[in-house]
Amino acid sequence: MKPGTLVRLALAGTRSDTVRVALTGLSAGLATLAYLAALTVIVIPTVEDGGGRVSPQYRHALIAEAGLRPGVVVVLVLLTVPVLALAGQCALLGAPSRDRRLSAIRLAGASPGQAIAIAATETGLASVLGTVVGLGAYFGGREFLHRPDADGRLPLPTDVVPPVWWIAAVCVGIPVVAMLFAVLQLRRVAVTPFGVVRRVRTRAPLPWPGALIVVGLIATATVVPLSRQLEGDPEESGALLLVVLLCGLGCATIGVVTGTGWISYRTGWLMHRFGRRPATLLAARRLMADPWSGSRTLAALLACLVFGGGAAGVRSSFATDFEAERLAAQRSDPSGVIIEPRDTDFYFGAFNLVNIAIGVGLVIAAGGLIVALAESIVSRRRAYAALVATGVPRSTLAKAVMWQSLVPAAAGIVVALAVGAALSQSLFGDEVEREGIVLEVPVPVDDLALLGAGAVAAVLAVVGVGLLFLRASTALEELRV
Amino acid sequence: MSYLSARGLVRSYGRTPALRGVNLDVEEGEIVAVTGPSGCGKSTLLHCLAGILRPDAGEVTYRGRRIDTLSEGARAALRRTEFGVLFQFGQLVAELTAAENVALPLLLAGTGRREARTAALSWLDRLGVADFADQRPGEMSGGQQQRCAVARALVTEPRVLFCDEPTGALDSLAGEQVLGHLVRLAREQRTTVVLVTHDVQVAAYGDREIMLRDGAADPTGLGTVAAQQ
Repeated sequence: MKPGTLVRLALAGTRSDTVRVALTGLSAGLATLAYLAALTVIVIPTVEDGGGRVSPQYRHALIAEAGLRPGVVVVLVLLTVPVLALAGQCALLGAPSRDRRLSAIRLAGASPGQAIAIAATETGLASVLGTVVGLGAYFGGREFLHRPDADGRLPLPTDVVPPVWWIAAVCVGIPVVAMLFAVLQLRRVAVTPFGVVRRVRTRAPLPWPGALIVVGLIATATVVPLSRQLEGDPEESGALLLVVLLCGLGCATIGVVTGTGWISYRTGWLMHRFGRRPATLLAARRLMADPWSGSRTLAALLACLVFGGGAAGVRSSFATDFEAERLAAQRSDPSGVIIEPRDTDFYFGAFNLVNIAIGVGLVIAAGGLIVALAESIVSRRRAYAALVATGVPRSTLAKAVMWQSLVPAAAGIVVALAVGAALSQSLFGDEVEREGIVLEVPVPVDDLALLGAGAVAAVLAVVGVGLLFLRASTALEELRV
Repeated sequence: MSYLSARGLVRSYGRTPALRGVNLDVEEGEIVAVTGPSGCGKSTLLHCLAGILRPDAGEVTYRGRRIDTLSEGARAALRRTEFGVLFQFGQLVAELTAAENVALPLLLAGTGRREARTAALSWLDRLGVADFADQRPGEMSGGQQQRCAVARALVTEPRVLFCDEPTGALDSLAGEQVLGHLVRLAREQRTTVVLVTHDVQVAAYGDREIMLRDGAADPTGLGTVAAQQ
């Protein structure tokens, strides 16, 4: 197939295909912005300044102090997780009409590989478009935000640019990864001339993700003892500790996300066993039939909550440490306080920034949830319309959709927050000691409850929007389609 | 007064007229086949009669009561309690087993789960698909699925059953089996049946045939064909 034909077929779609392309492009653009911002922070030059390495040309300590910048980079990269998850959900948008188009192309003589290439090209082109827009926004934003204050200090690192080949790697990497992801999503799909067959896993999920969470907790618990053991080259041991920490975080997060499949199946089984209403029966069977749906759609939200729970735990640990330090100082000199309020303000300000990043992540993840829920409703519109035609009240279907969305989400949110807090505790311990003052680190119940409530509110809002799609999708005109 | 009647039914989709003043009377316990070429308005007529669609003009009465003016909720309740609806395909819930699909209308009516399952198993048995009670639709053939759909449409013992091309997606043998069961059970229960089809062999199962052409009863006088069986 000639490249021109490939592009033409990839872009020949309906309105839902256009929306999918636009949202995929938007996700790629946001990811490009986040990665370029992270690279910009990495290349900030530093100078030695008595207390450490700093970049005095910047107004904010988070950028000015070299020791804090890795945290900024990590937060920016983490922000791309929900963005990429949103892109993944967008790939499902309008899937039925795309499937019909691919089948028709197969019927016209295309090979299975060519059909997949057409789908991947569509995603790739959308990503290239988004990346170009993201690149433009990055350079445009630099110009717009380059506003030195009276002392010549900048609010953001708009005076440095990452090396060209780093920028090129981002601009090429994002579309390539997006295309690979599209191919990966189609691995269980057989495009035939007579339709698209999706192979689904019928086996009930096993609870092995629980073991992954335990491994993650053990890995993070070994970080501090390991750092005491490794007293050689600080750079070398630092890298090793970082790898252990990231592995621990990764294992626990993957455990929570994949464990949601098992939770969905089990809660579905319980609802089916004890539920009495048709809505719970419908929701229970849906949860049991596709328990991995929860894992797929909630992945970004749960990942954000694991980090959110962890951040709340770290904040609680720091606050307890400051308190112990203050008490120790008061004991040695009742009139003096060692830690200046300014210092704690700085740390808590940094934590607030992390919370804002988590909040942004939750909002983006909620966007992905809306796309996933709307798509799942739209793809089943004929079955829903047939049920309504036979007299099933729309309220029953709405309750079923609400149950099947809320149950795995609520369980997953609780587990994610608990694992996040446990990760923090396994890393920093459950008590702090300063010059003989020992304080127990409290579980940050308020922060966790706030995060949980925020996440549940986001899911409820998503379900509310989804129910609007349900109303439209159960229109009895769908029976004529 | 007829059991179910339509007077001057008009219905359009945008600027495309589907029904142009159809009149129809159906008596209690009668099996009426509505036939005609594709796009003549057969399904639209059935949807209007069943209260699925509201006509743009005209009226539909059921047992002397006008139903086209009822609210959406009241029409849904009517379909749930008095009517049964059977489509060509895609009506079973993919995630529910055959028995759960058949039991669903009873559960919606407030019947207990055990009682609903017993009734569902009984109906599946009468339709010869009891062995598939715990299978999902995806694990059954088209004919078996459609027999489950018939069981679901009849489980509430409706007074009127509306069938929209019920064998359209089946081969002739499976179609005959489904129709054979459907007609036998409908006659046993004295259920009134309105059967939409483009297939003359399927229409032959009816007591009477109404032919539609271009959204109206056939003006050539062939519109009403006397009892076939």
